[in-house]
Parts: sequence; structure tokens; C-alpha cells
Amino acid sequence: MGEFFAVFGRDDFLNQLLVHVELSVVALLIGVAIAMPIALATFRSPFWAAVAINTGNIGRAVPSLAILALVFPLLGFGFTPSLVALTLLAIPPILINASTGLSQVNPQVIDAARGMGLSNGQILRGIQLPIAAPVIFAGIRTSAVQVVASATLATFVGGGGLGDLIVLGLQRNDPAVLVGGSLTIAVLAIITELTFGLLERTFTPKGLLVARKRRGK
Amino acid sequence: MIEFRHVSKTYLGSSQPVVNDLSFEVLEGEICVLVGPSGCGKTTSMRMVNRLIEPSEGEILINGEPNTEMSGTRLRRGIGYAIQQIGLFPHRTIADNIATVPQLLEWDKDRITARVDELLELVGLDPDQYRDRYPAELSGGQQQRVGVARALAADPPIMLMDEPFGAVDPINRHRLQDEFLRIQGEIKKTIVFVTHDIDEAIKMGDKIAILKEGGILAQYDTPENILAAPNSEFVSSFVGADRVLKMLSLLRVSDAELDPPNGNGDLPRLRERMTLRDALSELIGSGVERGVVVSDTEDGVRGTLSIETIRRLSSRAEAGQRGE
Amino acid sequence: MGGPPLVALQELGPRLFDWGWVSNNLTDEIIPALQGHIFLSFVSVAIALLISLPTGIFVSRYRKAYPPVTFVTGLLFSIPSLAAFALLVSVPGIGLGWQPVVIALVAYSLLVLIRNVVAGIDSVPEETKDAARGMGLTPRQILFKVELPLALPIIVAGVRIATVTIIGIATIGAYVGGGGLGDLIFTGISRNFPTRVIVGAVLATLLAVLADLLLLWVERLLRPWARARRA
Repeated sequence: MGEFFAVFGRDDFLNQLLVHVELSVVALLIGVAIAMPIALATFRSPFWAAVAINTGNIGRAVPSLAILALVFPLLGFGFTPSLVALTLLAIPPILINASTGLSQVNPQVIDAARGMGLSNGQILRGIQLPIAAPVIFAGIRTSAVQVVASATLATFVGGGGLGDLIVLGLQRNDPAVLVGGSLTIAVLAIITELTFGLLERTFTPKGLLVARKRRGK
Repeated sequence: MIEFRHVSKTYLGSSQPVVNDLSFEVLEGEICVLVGPSGCGKTTSMRMVNRLIEPSEGEILINGEPNTEMSGTRLRRGIGYAIQQIGLFPHRTIADNIATVPQLLEWDKDRITARVDELLELVGLDPDQYRDRYPAELSGGQQQRVGVARALAADPPIMLMDEPFGAVDPINRHRLQDEFLRIQGEIKKTIVFVTHDIDEAIKMGDKIAILKEGGILAQYDTPENILAAPNSEFVSSFVGADRVLKMLSLLRVSDAELDPPNGNGDLPRLRERMTLRDALSELIGSGVERGVVVSDTEDGVRGTLSIETIRRLSSRAEAGQRGE
Repeated sequence: MGGPPLVALQELGPRLFDWGWVSNNLTDEIIPALQGHIFLSFVSVAIALLISLPTGIFVSRYRKAYPPVTFVTGLLFSIPSLAAFALLVSVPGIGLGWQPVVIALVAYSLLVLIRNVVAGIDSVPEETKDAARGMGLTPRQILFKVELPLALPIIVAGVRIATVTIIGIATIGAYVGGGGLGDLIFTGISRNFPTRVIVGAVLATLLAVLADLLLLWVERLLRPWARARRA
């Protein structure tokens, strides 16, 4: 038992944990930075929005390992190739949700807003984004959990992360390291899910929460 | 105050115009109702006033100036806008919804708060109760009232209303119509009002513009004149076969020539404020020729009214309109 | 944490993809890997469905069971795949091979499948069930003739998500001896032979995307409005 807990005291444990978190956070941030502008640029046109959403859907089907593996011949081993692959994985859920969320805002509400004299920019900032926010944040949450889980695989292309510990444990037949690494990733994934779930609720406008509750009645 | 000059609208890829050479004028302080069957271009015409749609030909003048003089966004902030599905912002409170245009115009906070409360009172909603609620918590009728309040918020001289009472059941619709007429009596806005319901048009309008399919103006006149003298087969069938009865609903017992009372105790009682149509209905229903007219305010009999008088009035009115 | 520099582009051409290798090894490596992968995925989806359908039907009747079921399957879902494989491998009696892979794949897809079975059954209008009851159908007949058929589009949507996920994660299973297209990827990486990696990755991607599109088409076929048009 003692050797199990010793795992968490190892130097490389802390290192890999930090690398794992770093990879995940950066990949997610860049993913948002790429997906959101695309969604904002395309949601108004039915054609381009459909292109964006369909591309996102296909992107979601691609296996995580396949993307990491494909990056390897082009960019080699290491942190950067892993980051590129994880960023590509992060984009689809955000793109799909942002596009759908923005284009599904009630058109009557938007007509009323235009008729009252709000400019397009004001409508986007004051009406469309707040109303679409819950859906957008749900997409970011899905993406975050996926990225944290997939970052485990970065070990196969030399990116580091907690996957290193699992591979180490398997190779050396060391159950303590294996279990320690596995549990940590699982906990990390759960924490990510809960944190972003909380974030999603925080960014849902109160009026929409009220409406949701009423519909549930 | 609002003038349509040879306004037409044809959409790209279509050969038929949706609005065809529309010309008429809405006077200040009047409610002008655009009414007609679906496809007559009434909503399109209304939306050209605040440039949500731009005309293909012609121009619309507001107070003598073309409405293209300023940007569409600025124009719309000076025009109240209320639509059938209301379109309240679900993520904002009732107070924030109403305050939208005043906030755009950068009124100061105290003025906005006072105005919101004033408007809620005006539409019959208790400010303390409704100010901080969200749209999802309100019934359809309440939401519609908030929609009207929101359109009135910045005290615009002009209002555009597209079936604003349409999403409610008939009983509440009548109530909302009556209340709106009461409000208009106090504030006297210039209003373009769209509906498909001829009865609503007759009730609400100072002037009615009847549009035909293809966006052509069939007749533009006061409700009385249209009922008395429809200018075409289309208008008279649109108005309805009960045209004369509709005309009688515009006159009241107090408008009629009463005969002197002479002790007719068991005749049916007719109130002064009653419409002639309701009075006629009452008399026919009781099977008698004549009723006793009583005053609303004091006790006492004003005289008697006969079915004959009503009949004479309706044909005189019709002849009179046609003669003009 | 910087790795080796980017591979020079001139080197990429011939080094990157060796068609010769592909044609040489098509039958003894590539096709078996593909077959193994399809088999693994198919078996996992089938077992998962076998568990999820009755569970989902049960949970839709006894809603109190729904939160704990969601909790457990959600927990299983949140364990990242490699970790799950590793943990299962270390359980005595399982070890390396296809067993830990299938177990993990089934465990992952339970959440989505059960949730969609319940949602599908929930989507059946009360009036329809009422009419069936009124016509004298037994609860069992209502389930099989009314509820499940109408719930099918949503259930198939769940099968689609589960299948795509399973195909994807099965690639990782090769690392613990599960075989399949992941084998090509891993051996390719360890021997620094890009062709292998690309073949494995591209085939896995194609398999997943094709399954996605196929099941999407099936889903669309089953949608009520499509049914109404045919009727």
C-alpha cells in the first residue's frame, strides 16, 4: 500500500501531471480561439453553417489515436506535435455547438431586436451570444473532457503527460505506478467535467434557467 | 406624417411584386390599419416604414423627409415596434426588456427606471410584481402587454404594430384592444397597425387601407366610409356580408334620434352607450318594435328608440357616404 | 519539453509513404488488422447493446433507478481509455489480449446507449401508448410493437455515437494486445516506419467515418417525418 502512495511523491509524477495539464489547457484555448471565429463567421449563412457543422461532425468521428499518429510522420515526436494533434481534436465539439447554438436563437427575438434599432454588433453581443452561451459552453466542456482524456495518448508520440506513467507501469509490470497514473487521469477527467459543468451553469443567463425550469414542469 | 409614395417591392428571382405602387398618407395621431388576405403585402409594407425591408421603387416619407435620410438603426430607435410573437428577450428581465431602447439612447438610469414603472402601470401590470420577472414566467397576454410597453418605452411619435394581439385567445384580445385604445386616447401616437381581421381593423382604425393580393391598394378610407360605400366587389366581400350590421356597431344609441317617452314601462331597456347593433339585437330578441333608452349616469329615461329609426339611420348613413 | 525539430520536407516524400510496403503486406498484415478491428468493434457494440436495451427499458419504467445507473455508467465513461485498459490488465485473470479491450469498450458505451434507450422510450407520445392500451395490447406487446419501434431513431443515434467511439478507442486497445489497426500504428511508431502508421491511422479514420455516415443514413431513414412521407 505504501508503495502505491509513494507514486504521488515521485518527481516524474508531478512533472508529467503538469505537462498533461499544460497540454490540455493550451490545446483547449487554441481550439476555442480557432473554433469560435469560424462559428461566428459562418452561422448567419445556412450554407456555410452547414459546412462548418458537417465538418465538425466528421471531425468528431476521427479516432484520437489516429490524429496523434498522423501528426508523427509530419512533425515528429515531442510536445509540439502532441499539442497540434490535441488542438485538432478540441475543435469539432466547440465548432458544432457554437454554430448550432448561434443559429438556433429564436428568429422572432432577433427580428424584434432589429426592429427596435439594435445594430448587428449589439444583437450579437447582447442577444445571440448570451442566449447561445449555455450550448457553447456545453461544447467547450465536451471538448475539454475529450482533450484531457486524449492527452493520455500523447505519450505515444513523445509528448509526455500522465500516459507516460501508465506505459511505464505496463512495461515494468509495476502495478502501483499503473494504478496511480490511471487513477490520477480519471480524477483529472472528472474534475474537468465538474468544473466546466459549473462554468456552463455560471454563464447561463438567469432568464434561461427560469425558462428551462418552467418547461420541465 | 407617414407618406407612402408609389412604393413597390419585388423580390429577386420573382416576377410578381409583393407590394405594388402603394400610395397613401397616415395623418399624425391616427391609427392606420393595413388589412387584407395573406399575400397582400401588408406586413411587408409596414416593415418598409422602418426599413427592415427596403422598397424596390418609390419612397416613404416621415414628416416630409425620406426615411433614408438617416441610418436604418437610428431610424428604428425612433419608431416603436411590436410584433405578433412579441420576441421578448428571454435572458433579460421584464424591466430590462422595456428599457432596451432608452438604454440605447443613453437616458440616465433614474429616468429609465421611472419610465419602466410608468409603462408597466400603463399596460396594467403592477411594477413591483413584474419588474424583475423573466418572460418565461409570464402568460401570453402579459407578455403581449410587455411587448407594447417595450415599443412605447422611448416615447416614439410613430409605432408599427404587426398583429400585436394575435398570439392571445379572443377574450384577452378584446381586452387588450380596448386597453390599447384607451392608452391611445391619452397619448395619441401615429400608428401603422397590421391585421388580417377586418373586425379588428374596424374597431382599431381611424383609417383603414385594404390591400389586395399582389400588394395593391383596394380602398383607403375611414371605417364608416368603407362599410357604407365599398368601392369594389373585392372590398365588399372582404368586409363581409354583414356590412350594414358592422356599420351599426360604429354608432351608439346616443347618436340616434329618440322619440319622447310615454310611460312604456315593460319595454326592454337600452343603455345610451350601447352600440346600435347591440340595441337592434336586443329589440329583435325581445320581439318588440321599440325600447326605452336610459342614461348611464343618472337615473331617468331619455326617450325611446324604434327599430324603424335604426333602419332609417343605416340607410341614411349609407346614402350620405355615397353622396360625399 | 521541445522535441526533435520538424522533419525536413525533402525527406518526407519517399520516406513518408512506401506503396511497395503496402502492396507487399496487404494480405498478411493490413487486411487481418482491419478485420480484427471490425470484429472487435462489432462484438463490443453487440454486447453493449445486449446489456443496454434491457437495462434502459427497466430504467425507463423505474425512474428511481435512473440517477444511480447514470452515475455508475458516467463514472465508467470518465476513466480515460488507456488508464482503463491498464487497470483491467492488472486484474488477475484478465491480463493482456482482447479481453480487457472488449470489457472496457463495452463499459464506455453503456452511458450513451442506456441514455438514448431511455430518451427514445420517453419520446413515444403518451396518446399513442394510450391508444394501444385501449385496443387491448398487453404491456409486452406495447413494448415490442409500439414503444421500441418508435424509439428506434433515438436509439440508433446512440448506437452511432457508441460505434464511432468504440472504433476509435479500439485503436488504443492494440497496446494491451487487443490487435486491430492500432497494431499498425504502434509498431510503426516504435520502428519509426511512417508508412505503417499512416496506413493504420487512415484506415481507422475511414472506418470510423464510414460507420458514422452509414448509421446517420439509417437514423434518417427511421425518422418519423421520413416514415410519414413513405406512408
